[in-house]
Amino acid sequence: MATLTKKTILSHLSVKEAMRRQVIWIPKEENIAKTINLFIKYKVNALLTTSRDNKPVGVVSKTDVMGAYYAGLPLESPVEGIMSSPPLFCKPDESLEVALDRMKSRGIYRLYVREREDGEAVGILAYPDIVGLLYRYCHGCEYSHFSRKKPAETKRQIQYRVKDVMTTNVKSFRDNETLMQIMEGLSVYRFGAVLIKDQNSYPAGVVSKTDLILAYKHGISADIPAKLIMSSPVKSCDEEDLLEEAIRKMIFSEVHRLFVHRDTHQKIVGVFSLSDAARLKSGSCRACVSSRIKVDDHS
Amino acid sequence: MKNSARDVMTTSFHTLSPENTIAEAVKLFRKATEEEKQKVFGMMVTDKNNKLVGMLSMYDILLFIRPKHIHIWGMMEDIDIEGLVEHACDRAKSIFVGDIMTTDVITVSPDTHLMMILDIMIKKHIRRIPVVEGEDILGIIYISNLFYHLVEKLM
Repeated sequence: MATLTKKTILSHLSVKEAMRRQVIWIPKEENIAKTINLFIKYKVNALLTTSRDNKPVGVVSKTDVMGAYYAGLPLESPVEGIMSSPPLFCKPDESLEVALDRMKSRGIYRLYVREREDGEAVGILAYPDIVGLLYRYCHGCEYSHFSRKKPAETKRQIQYRVKDVMTTNVKSFRDNETLMQIMEGLSVYRFGAVLIKDQNSYPAGVVSKTDLILAYKHGISADIPAKLIMSSPVKSCDEEDLLEEAIRKMIFSEVHRLFVHRDTHQKIVGVFSLSDAARLKSGSCRACVSSRIKVDDHS
Repeated sequence: MKNSARDVMTTSFHTLSPENTIAEAVKLFRKATEEEKQKVFGMMVTDKNNKLVGMLSMYDILLFIRPKHIHIWGMMEDIDIEGLVEHACDRAKSIFVGDIMTTDVITVSPDTHLMMILDIMIKKHIRRIPVVEGEDILGIIYISNLFYHLVEKLM
């Protein structure tokens, strides 16, 4: 029987084309302060933890460190106590789509890459890496917003806009709510950052997991109000903006998400993250999706 | 020939505090370069009790300024370098020396043999090593100190 299978760009690509080759690791006996230092220094969201014989035994993420801050653990506590284990792996020659589906079904944000069962980690694959690859792909395409090959009018019609893919459920907090309250919100809703509104309900800033772990490292009490550590102003885009422009803005400003406004900067109607962009599994317009629908014979 | 760490170390050195901002660190690098009369590319980081807690090099600061997704930008012609640097400097405002310094610092004692120090510098790719005795910092050996001391006979 013939079934209609929707092929995406990712089906044709392998993990090794998107992975980053610099894997940052930390011995599991090292402390949380050192972990935060490596997060900031290498701009990564997670570290691979290793045993005394240099075998990978777990992963420690910004979320885990935020949990330690919430629980009031001293910065000197060993990372072993907060890591999740074992680390999950994929292979460099595996299809990117298979890897992405596994991340989605296991609810995780990254996979480490190795050739063999007992081998060393040779890379890491996270959502932003996949988006980066898609972005490069789109940038070189004749349908790209940045390309001059096709008339702007033709391109406009098929390109995704931020409103087509954004999440409309935006969780926000007041600027006088404490870091403890924000951390509770972040772990319940599984967000990477929340919008902070001022007393007049206008968007005032953003508190991300990175802001929180820096506060932890700097010895700041978790009982202080959000406005003292939030990043301001809110990085946002218009809901009518093209997806390609929004992704470019995120990559450029090294943020994982943009809040989405309608008409004015004061009115936030959605949020759009690099993870959302990766889950879309296609480039930034409909051209390549429609051209890749293919009939596979599974008889 | 004098051949231990204490014979070549620089004893007038500058240090950073983990609470210094990156902007302050850059100013202190410039000040140290003027006062030590040699280009300072890395400094020791000490706590309130003058205990060595890390090292910060220009490389660490550049690592922070480097755009995270440079492999994507690398192939684009419409890249706006100025904007990127501004973004990096903006981010650096909330970052302290303690957040990006190297904490695994290799040190030597004042009696360590120069050949041992040379070996460490080559194998570990480092250009400066603090000289400590117990908790006290006595000085720092820059690769240039070692170089001119060792090649003196060649000239």
